[in-house]
Amino acid sequence: MIRQLRRPDFWTVVTGVILVVLVVLLLIPIIRVLLLSFVDADTLKWTLGNYVEVFTRNFYLKGLKNTLFVGFLGTLGACMLGIPLAFFTARFHLWGRAWISTLAILVLVSPPFIGAYAWIMMLGSNGFITNFFGRIGIETPTIYGAHGIVLVFTLKFFPFVFLMTQTALMAVNKSFEDAAENLGCTPLQRFTKITLPLVFPAISTGAIICFVLSIADFGTPAILGRGFRTLSTIAFSAYRSELGGVPTMAVTVSMIMIAISMLALLAQRRILAKRRYASSLTNLPVKTHLTGWRNVAVHGFCHGVVLIAMLPSLVVVYTSFLKTNGPVFVGGYGLESYGRIWRTAPEAIANSFLFATAAVVLITAFSALISYVIVRRETTASGAIDFMMMVPYLIPGVVMAIGFVTTFRSGFFGGIGAAWLLVMLYFIRRLPYGVRSTTSSLRQVKPSMEEAAINLGAPPLTAFLKVTVPLILPGLIVGSLMGFITAINELSGTLILYDAGSITMPVSIYLAVLDGEFGLAAAHSTVLLLCTGVCVYFVFRFTENRNSAFL
Amino acid sequence: MASVEIKGIRKLYGDVVALSDINISIPSGSFFTLLGPSGCGKTTLLRTIAGFHDQNAGRIEVDGKSIEGLPAYRRDVGMVFQDYAIFPHISVRDNVAFGLRQRKVLASDISKRVADVLEVVQLGAFADRMPHELSGGQQQRVGLARAVVIRPKVLLMDEPLSNLDARLRVDLRAELRRIQRDLGITTVYVTHDQEEALAMSDTVCVMHQGVIQQAASPLDIYLRPENRFVATFVGACNFMSLSKEGGQFSLKSSGARVFDAAGFNATEIACAVRPETLRVASGHVTPSPEEIAIPAKILDVSFIGREMEVLTITDGGEQLKSLARPDPAIIELANGSSVTVLVKRDDLAFFEATEVGRRVG
Repeated sequence: MIRQLRRPDFWTVVTGVILVVLVVLLLIPIIRVLLLSFVDADTLKWTLGNYVEVFTRNFYLKGLKNTLFVGFLGTLGACMLGIPLAFFTARFHLWGRAWISTLAILVLVSPPFIGAYAWIMMLGSNGFITNFFGRIGIETPTIYGAHGIVLVFTLKFFPFVFLMTQTALMAVNKSFEDAAENLGCTPLQRFTKITLPLVFPAISTGAIICFVLSIADFGTPAILGRGFRTLSTIAFSAYRSELGGVPTMAVTVSMIMIAISMLALLAQRRILAKRRYASSLTNLPVKTHLTGWRNVAVHGFCHGVVLIAMLPSLVVVYTSFLKTNGPVFVGGYGLESYGRIWRTAPEAIANSFLFATAAVVLITAFSALISYVIVRRETTASGAIDFMMMVPYLIPGVVMAIGFVTTFRSGFFGGIGAAWLLVMLYFIRRLPYGVRSTTSSLRQVKPSMEEAAINLGAPPLTAFLKVTVPLILPGLIVGSLMGFITAINELSGTLILYDAGSITMPVSIYLAVLDGEFGLAAAHSTVLLLCTGVCVYFVFRFTENRNSAFL
Repeated sequence: MASVEIKGIRKLYGDVVALSDINISIPSGSFFTLLGPSGCGKTTLLRTIAGFHDQNAGRIEVDGKSIEGLPAYRRDVGMVFQDYAIFPHISVRDNVAFGLRQRKVLASDISKRVADVLEVVQLGAFADRMPHELSGGQQQRVGLARAVVIRPKVLLMDEPLSNLDARLRVDLRAELRRIQRDLGITTVYVTHDQEEALAMSDTVCVMHQGVIQQAASPLDIYLRPENRFVATFVGACNFMSLSKEGGQFSLKSSGARVFDAAGFNATEIACAVRPETLRVASGHVTPSPEEIAIPAKILDVSFIGREMEVLTITDGGEQLKSLARPDPAIIELANGSSVTVLVKRDDLAFFEATEVGRRVG
């Protein structure tokens, strides 16, 4: 009897391809960076000297201290805004609740560096708030330095804490709180002893995201820092000064940043491991009505927080329509800034859209395949892929880009153009957004769907395209849109990889801000904001749970 | 129409034996049911036939041709799923046409065959509905139509009725059987519901811990169980303890000699009797020669309409349950009243006292 030989299973082949792509684009660059940090820049021999230098020289130690300082305070600030906001919106009837959530989401997705330079326009040495108070003889505190960075981080990152805590609060079984009250707790005791501990896992997750993003943030300290240096700005300038040589100090500093992020994540996992609360939604919490001064205060706080957080974006849009002559605002309104970006750097706009779109096409295709492998195939390989999807969250853009330079600019891969590198960088850094959203969609689809298709004669790929993909389409679209938003707003990695022909809008904005060309920066930023806003609108259209789509 | 031969199938999950040396022969056109508690391996066996996972050893032949080398999408076996698995993003018509389109059937033939099969499952008017507009029962009919329209050699059904409510389950049960007979399609059906298995099948195959316990007609399974597991899983049983004197076993509760066997200890043999064969009479009754009388007291009587359930306790402390036509004289008895439980000697069955102990008499 002739026994039919089976070809290797379709999904085994796909798993192999995914592994190769992740190893080449993710693991090799990171390992190159890691190895490079143990190399002596002059002799090219193995050494621990770089780490010794980082931990002994005051310059680096100060940077480490600064990074942790703004990281902790920024996270603390985000919690102080985010937790009350979440509690108020989840438990009280608030006028304009949807509006508050929408603004928070817009703050979350707007380009990170816009906050920094918009605050300069308000509170900088020539800012309009500074000037206003200066005219009436009051000296406002300067925005430059640590406290400015903390302010920007607080206002930029609080939506993570807010949205996560709010989602958790709305899922807490009301019976727990009723039971506490029945057992004699006052409302305040009930909140601190029952409700707060129950939503603690969500709060800590939000806080850890804030902390990791604060550590990795480059644009804010670069624009607001002046003399105040953090590890990301140190790594960037070290890379710049080591150009042509081996960027050993840049990568060593980068490894410290990764180590901090990983420690934070591990700490959070340890804390959460002991806290697993099964939630049954039998008794959903109800909202109460507030009256009197409490009502006014709560409304004032909630709307105040999101409005102040939105202020930078509003200022940027407003500034973009101011009449300018070169870098000078000459009073009145006009479209000169838009004219200038169109004349001087149309390629920045074109590049931004081109690179982000190309990256998102890849993200969409790979998200669909990777999520299938993660959800449906329980193998060691799929576990490894699942784990690797966490890695890009932990690796700052500067680090990933340096890894790309050391891996792809020389040797075996040498000669890949900057444009391709940028597309690959955006793809690998933003892939987890697509995978996470698609994975949660796919978990809702019963495996019997695909089995039915296969049973009816569809080969694996046909079953996947005809049945699985249509069923996970909403998650796939949301994930791709999130990938697009974050890809088109990428600054730190782009700054290291771009060349004259591959400049993008965030880079143009950064350079314009450094040159004091605020009108130009504002016009670019407005284009980015508009495009981000359009994406957010479509995410809203395709998702049922608005909060979780963005986290 | 095709016969199915399963020869020596073995399936391991790590160290756990899911299927152990399964040998089954299913004649063409028959309705074959795999019955067993959850985790017994029945679904694993069904999915092995469908090709959703590979066996570690053994062969599956359809019409004499081995199919285990074929991937699942080329096996040509239809499957009806427990959770229906109706594609929610396409209409009923497109769901049913899915398999035909995969087989590149002509469009004109597709529309005719889809219309025909939808008539068979009485959903002709629902062709253009979307799945979420249908009830559970209607969705499962779509599932059946979708599986049989490709005229598969074998039809596999994985607990297709278990997600439906009780009333609908009984209705659809009869309809499934009618359609299967009309089409004459060889069917392997998985269920944990013994009533369903007995009502529908030509052959019932009882499985436990990956091993086939007995494969026989429904009547034989119920009346002539080959081992203790089959007797207890299909239908209810009372167990009575025995005492042994010189190679002869007697019922402890009445002293009556019931069984001769030299090779066993008293505790190695279990005596089983079905509740519906026990007769409860009030007071003291002298048995006929073919009957045994067991003195007992009423513990509880529940009248459940068509029948009454009488729970009694023997003087030795054994509980016996009887199921019989309602008898006012018994129902009105107070708890604790003395009664006689009568059992025909022919209705007693003897098993080795292990979980899957074989029948010895």
